[in-house]
Amino acid sequence: MVRLSKWLLKEAGTGVNKTLSEILVCPLSKQALRVCEEPPSLISDSIGVSFPMKDGIPCLVPTDGKILDTDDTMKHDNAADDSANNK
Amino acid sequence: MHSLQFSVPLLPTSRFKRHSVRCASDRQQLFNRIAPVYDNLNDLLSLGQHRIWKRMAVSWSGAKTGDSLLDLCCGSGDLTFLMSEKAGADGKVIGLDFSKEQLSIASSRQYLLSKACYNNIEWVEGDALDLPFSNGYFDAITMGYGLRNVVDKRRAMQEMFRVLKPDSRVSILDFNKSMQPFTALFQEWMIDNVVVPTATVYGLAKEYQYLKTSIDEFLTGKELEKLALDAGFSYARHYEIGGGLMGNLVAAR
Repeated sequence: MVRLSKWLLKEAGTGVNKTLSEILVCPLSKQALRVCEEPPSLISDSIGVSFPMKDGIPCLVPTDGKILDTDDTMKHDNAADDSANNK
Repeated sequence: MHSLQFSVPLLPTSRFKRHSVRCASDRQQLFNRIAPVYDNLNDLLSLGQHRIWKRMAVSWSGAKTGDSLLDLCCGSGDLTFLMSEKAGADGKVIGLDFSKEQLSIASSRQYLLSKACYNNIEWVEGDALDLPFSNGYFDAITMGYGLRNVVDKRRAMQEMFRVLKPDSRVSILDFNKSMQPFTALFQEWMIDNVVVPTATVYGLAKEYQYLKTSIDEFLTGKELEKLALDAGFSYARHYEIGGGLMGNLVAAR
């Protein structure tokens, strides 16, 4: 039952597996990644790029990355702050 | 937002030839296309023997209980599941591939096979030439039928070396580019007269014709050993298996 729940959550892409987010680094800078819950993604602050999560699977091929402009960086930061405040 | 546009074939260390069959993006699409029948064709074309070769590859990697393991170019996960059994509940296995479709199948198999130890597997879409892992993280790495398909084999070896812990091994299983004329001829005959006609039934003739080109462009056992040593590995040995049709490179950091 636990396994089914975990699999369903991953498939729904509703969260980034905490253990995985600790193992992974930016494929280009090899620096740590920051988790963004909404939309599910991994942010490389070192190069200002966002990598998506799809169906619970992190997409870290360099060409999957999207360069964040300042507005996007702020949106991601605000989302992270909101979720921290709500906890 | 702007998308990153990286052209893998234009990396300084790439050996991009005008007559080269495919770039990384073409290969990615190829593996997406064959994903639905990949496992069935492996069984059919090797008469099930690929399962033995993969067990040998895992054995050679030195993977053991509690280890952090990486299966590169994991495809639909055959080697990943074997590594998972070695690592056990206290270990961790990452299956990495650049094909979304293959990873989707791998993930579904993980659920359907529903063995408790498979909970230690995580799937990552990534590039073998730019691994998203820090230095010296893994206790062992496997790569099954992947090295032949990367556009820059030197860089792939360097990345594997980088993410391996000291005194750890990489085990790379693939077709053998044989120096024996009879073996090479037999391998070519098999592809022309068994593999491609079978793949044609599934509408994948062109995709499996790529197999012959990729073996032609691959390295011999000796060349693979040199590639590993040049990348910094202290030990490299290539073993021929499956009657010389397959080969497994074992390299130690």
